[in-house]
Amino acid sequence: MKRNMYYLAIVMAVAAGLAFSAPVGAGETYQLGLSLAITGPTSDAGNPYSKGVEDYMRFANDTKILGDAKIDCPIRDDMYKTAVTKRNFEDFLDQGMIFFLSYATGANQALAPDFTEVQIPVVPASMDSSLMKASPYIFLPIASYSHQYVGVAEYVAANHKGEGAAKVAAFIHPSAFGRAPLADFKAAVAAGLNLELVEVVEHGKDLDNSALLQRLASKGVQYVLCHTVQSPVATLLNDAQRLGMTAKTFGEPGKITFMGAHYTGGNDLIALAGTAAEGFHWTTSYRVTSEKGPWTDWQLDMAKKYGRDDKTANSHNYASGMMAAQIAVEAIRRTREAGKKVTKETLYETLNQMNGDKAFTSLAAVGPVTYSVTDRMGVDNVQLYVVKDGVFRAVGEPFKPKYMK
Amino acid sequence: MSANRFFATGNFFTDYRQEQRIFRTHLDRGLFVVFLACLFAWPLFFDASNRTMLVINNILIAVVAVYGLNLVTGFAGLISIGHAAFVGVGAYTVAGLARAIGASHPLIVHWWPLMILAAGGMGAVFGAFVGLPAMRLKHLYLAIATLSFQMIFTWTIQFMPTFNQGQMIPVGRVAWIGGTVGRKDHYFFWYYVILVVAVVCGLAVRNLLRSRYGRCLVAVRDNDRAADAMGMHPGLTKVYAFTLAGFFAGVAGALHTYMFRGAGFESFTLHHSITYLAMAIVGGLGTLPGSLLGPAAIYTLELEMERLSEWSGAFLPDSLNLATALRPLGFGLVIVLFLMFEPRGMANWWRICRSYVKLWPFRY
Repeated sequence: MKRNMYYLAIVMAVAAGLAFSAPVGAGETYQLGLSLAITGPTSDAGNPYSKGVEDYMRFANDTKILGDAKIDCPIRDDMYKTAVTKRNFEDFLDQGMIFFLSYATGANQALAPDFTEVQIPVVPASMDSSLMKASPYIFLPIASYSHQYVGVAEYVAANHKGEGAAKVAAFIHPSAFGRAPLADFKAAVAAGLNLELVEVVEHGKDLDNSALLQRLASKGVQYVLCHTVQSPVATLLNDAQRLGMTAKTFGEPGKITFMGAHYTGGNDLIALAGTAAEGFHWTTSYRVTSEKGPWTDWQLDMAKKYGRDDKTANSHNYASGMMAAQIAVEAIRRTREAGKKVTKETLYETLNQMNGDKAFTSLAAVGPVTYSVTDRMGVDNVQLYVVKDGVFRAVGEPFKPKYMK
Repeated sequence: MSANRFFATGNFFTDYRQEQRIFRTHLDRGLFVVFLACLFAWPLFFDASNRTMLVINNILIAVVAVYGLNLVTGFAGLISIGHAAFVGVGAYTVAGLARAIGASHPLIVHWWPLMILAAGGMGAVFGAFVGLPAMRLKHLYLAIATLSFQMIFTWTIQFMPTFNQGQMIPVGRVAWIGGTVGRKDHYFFWYYVILVVAVVCGLAVRNLLRSRYGRCLVAVRDNDRAADAMGMHPGLTKVYAFTLAGFFAGVAGALHTYMFRGAGFESFTLHHSITYLAMAIVGGLGTLPGSLLGPAAIYTLELEMERLSEWSGAFLPDSLNLATALRPLGFGLVIVLFLMFEPRGMANWWRICRSYVKLWPFRY
């Protein structure tokens, strides 16, 4: 009897030792959720974005980035409808979600009060700076639309060769998303950015922009700064080419140079506009596969590994989805590493500490991801690209727009 | 008719009053009371998730909106393809005021029942205004007039800074006995509010239809010249049909704003108008049960299609994106098949079931 008690004590001691020596959360499954437009408006961006998230989550589980712990990240199509996004969000919460990956500007604005009440960290696909004011739990992965738009405008002001301020027109999507950077752009002009904003055009679904282009030309507009999705920009570029109005070099007098931010560019634009896209200038914080580097090689390998087609593999939205997933996985990894239980609250803390030495370097973007209680915009730098011989080529080094605080 | 109204079967009326009863038999009334009791009681016994409650609340809001659409299109025979805009008028009555005076102003969060009624009133005013062309227009021409209202509404909301250019306008949490309704009880609380509104509105429509005003709607739909000859005013009848439709839509809009804690323009687009019309058609135009069955059917179909699409995504070839195409395809196909094989809507199934039970066991 005594011997049995002795063995039992040993077994219990070993069991207790194993229990305490095992990493926090070993064998756990962390519940995340992604709701985005895989069909419906803007699905051309949402579709590769969802695949980026899906592939990175699979990669994280396959390669055991979190040790024995797994990530479960269901992906739901919300068709760009806020009501469906809200339903998905509630469903994910019912399943015990601790980190939310969201998508559209409108849906994020609508759900911002919920994010704050539930206290759940959120990484959206929208880079609207107003989202950071809407809820302290929203963390933009890269530079806001305003940063990207003002960044491209600064390039115009710095490189325009003519006399006086360059005349520019804003060509924007007729929505909250499209208007997002306008206020900051106007503030930059008021603060001394040497540009003259001649007209703001909220585009419709026109298939011909001849009248618009002739009007802009008659007003002396030399630069059109776009903030919309690729298809209206492609239509604009095709019409400009047909009318012989496209500048062959940056700022060519008497012609128009077309430029844009984030969702205006990428390989989809080249596929839609063909040769008309030549000379289009574009800012984003992501790396593109036409500029080879360690990240782009890895991105293409990942796409191949998980059976994605070439279009998806080369999409910057695919990289964008991967990076959103990376931020979530990294936050979980660091929380575990710190010996804390992984919850919404601890993930929020971890994200807010992601700065200085603890900044997260994702090779997907042109700068490190830094967050703090007062700064919830991840990558601060933007990179300017221009279409040359059918591909996007980097122009200069990544930079931080001076007129954006 | 049987002397005992508990056991009566068949339709045997000896005067018009009997025909106009809301409940033909005591059994009808009893069943309705039990059904209502179940609707009120089930959340107390089942722990429904927020998602489930959200879906059910959405269905009930759509029921209130479709009451209105059924009055104007089903009973009065006037095609309206701008119903979501009327819902939007109600939603933006609350949201616009919240933007002007503050999301948590007492008028918004304490006097919310009054706000819901005010939203209905505003919907009625817009309904009457948009209904004016109905005095001169019919059929497709009238449909275009309602479509133009939908376009004007969307444009106005999307471009006017007063309405935050279509971006979300938040509304505060409402107060009830015991304080503010928190997130935990939000959907539960609104379930009961919306249910009460849906039941009251349903009874109001049922009562309207047995009054001379209700019969006017049907008479004008069937033959407006004959109705005119019988002393009715077809033009005014059409305007008041639009007014009533606007009222119900406005109430639905206010409920939507409170339930979603804000309003954004994307919930009131042409797509939503078409969806309301699909709900009315699938449910059964010109029937009260159709207004209940249509929204439930369309929402269920949407959810099932979503599930099918998600499930099929696991094995369909990724490059073809077939899974994403399945939902719109399946949804459209079901509606087309429905219109081909059961144009009278689901209310007709309900009518057949009732007729069967009514005659059973062949008492006469």
